[in-house]
Amino acid sequence: MELKEAMETATAELDVRPGFVGDVMAGARRRHTRKLLAVTAAVALLAGVTSGVVLTRSSSEPPLADDVRLTAAIGGDLADQTEFIQQSLTAWTKGTAVGDLVTEVSPDAHVFWAGNTQDGRVSLIAQSVRVPSYTKPQTLVGLVRDDTVVDQEIVYKGAREQGIYRLGSDENATYVVLSLGQKVFWSVSPVRGQDLRYSRKWHEASFHDGVAVVSAKPTEKPVFIRTDNGPPADDVNRVGERILPRQEMEQQKVMQPHTGLGWRDVMWASARQEPSRPGSSADKLVAEDLMRRGYLDYDTPYLLWEVRAWLPDGRFAVVTETNDELVGALYQPDGTFDRVLPGGPW
Amino acid sequence: MQDFEDFVALRSQALLRTAYLLCGGDKGAAEDILQDVLMSMYGKWRRIRTSPEAYARTALANAAANRWRRRARKPEAPLDLGAVPTSRGHEEHVVDADSVVRALAQLPKKMRAVLVLRFFDDLSEAETARTLGCGVGTVKSQTSRGLARMRELMGEQVLTWN
Repeated sequence: MELKEAMETATAELDVRPGFVGDVMAGARRRHTRKLLAVTAAVALLAGVTSGVVLTRSSSEPPLADDVRLTAAIGGDLADQTEFIQQSLTAWTKGTAVGDLVTEVSPDAHVFWAGNTQDGRVSLIAQSVRVPSYTKPQTLVGLVRDDTVVDQEIVYKGAREQGIYRLGSDENATYVVLSLGQKVFWSVSPVRGQDLRYSRKWHEASFHDGVAVVSAKPTEKPVFIRTDNGPPADDVNRVGERILPRQEMEQQKVMQPHTGLGWRDVMWASARQEPSRPGSSADKLVAEDLMRRGYLDYDTPYLLWEVRAWLPDGRFAVVTETNDELVGALYQPDGTFDRVLPGGPW
Repeated sequence: MQDFEDFVALRSQALLRTAYLLCGGDKGAAEDILQDVLMSMYGKWRRIRTSPEAYARTALANAAANRWRRRARKPEAPLDLGAVPTSRGHEEHVVDADSVVRALAQLPKKMRAVLVLRFFDDLSEAETARTLGCGVGTVKSQTSRGLARMRELMGEQVLTWN
């Protein structure tokens, strides 16, 4: 049975009680009235001691986000190209839709960087917007190439910003990366060593006016990391915060549960099945553990089958598949990682 | 506010189903948090009317999580989370329906919310992350672990997903 189908079956008979809508409406009106009365009382109280203070935001007031890019001096080698900048802003306005994700836009759209890349002239733009579920305005940041909006990202206050945009083709791409006050390292073509662990050579992105332009071939598996310190060469994916352009994030969304052997179960090959995992990491998948130890590279999907066994000598063995081949891992009885055992292609 | 009333009338059933799964099968709690969330939306309707469903889902996920936090602080009789039935018979669909809710109830609240939003409400990873206020990476790992855990909990009633 599919998970969705099972959930739908489980809830198929559910409906709200009779009178639910009326209860909600009555309760909502009561709550709203109480709130208005409380606000009115507070305003009256303050009015006695304060004059000229505006307590409520006018509905016609445009949203203003707290983001220095909204007023920053324009950076980049096209900073003085006013005609191009105006063209970018026109494209931005035309390409910014108000809808489910952005409910209101401010007229403060501002180009904070404009420059040449091998894939054309681009500009980076910031704009204050209102978004659902947030009372304060947030910032919409995006990239325009010539007269087309390539991508936009809502930057929620305090939340992580990707700050990376991809242009060009799948054969040759240009990555426009924002510094956001940190260093960015990038790497292509992971190398797998004799010990089966992956390594990558990292390059520090060169920023000018807070923006780096990097050329790379998507087929060579480029990875970008935003961090304060460069990752060591043998560290595949443990240091820093990986940043992904939207195209590559979209590719990651696709679940691939049927790769390889297509199994999706945890199976046991020994009579003893307790504890289900050694040590304290009872819910950890071996694939996650192997990734943490460098045996899997970035973008290797988690594989959701394992064959587990407690061995006669007390050790714990697990077999799964990754990188198109079988792989085994041995753990000591206390959960200490022992070694990886290559199983060859399936 | 006719459109708010229309929204409540039209979408309450669907939202109740999401709330029911988020609450691990506690219908009373699901109805309570749904009513509370809908009432709170009334005063904000002008601001959220363009995407009320997204707002409601976020609020329901938060309310379900806070409910569990409150429960954790307050000693209560534990939910009956006995062994998941795995026998198959003429009421197989009833067993499956019951066991998926029981299995969901045994997941950590965030993991459960991720699975409900991703597979019941059909949200993308990015939408789920936005709804729960976490990163896409968290959604991916919670999905992965959650599915593995569901399979373990549901025994021979193997779950698939697309």
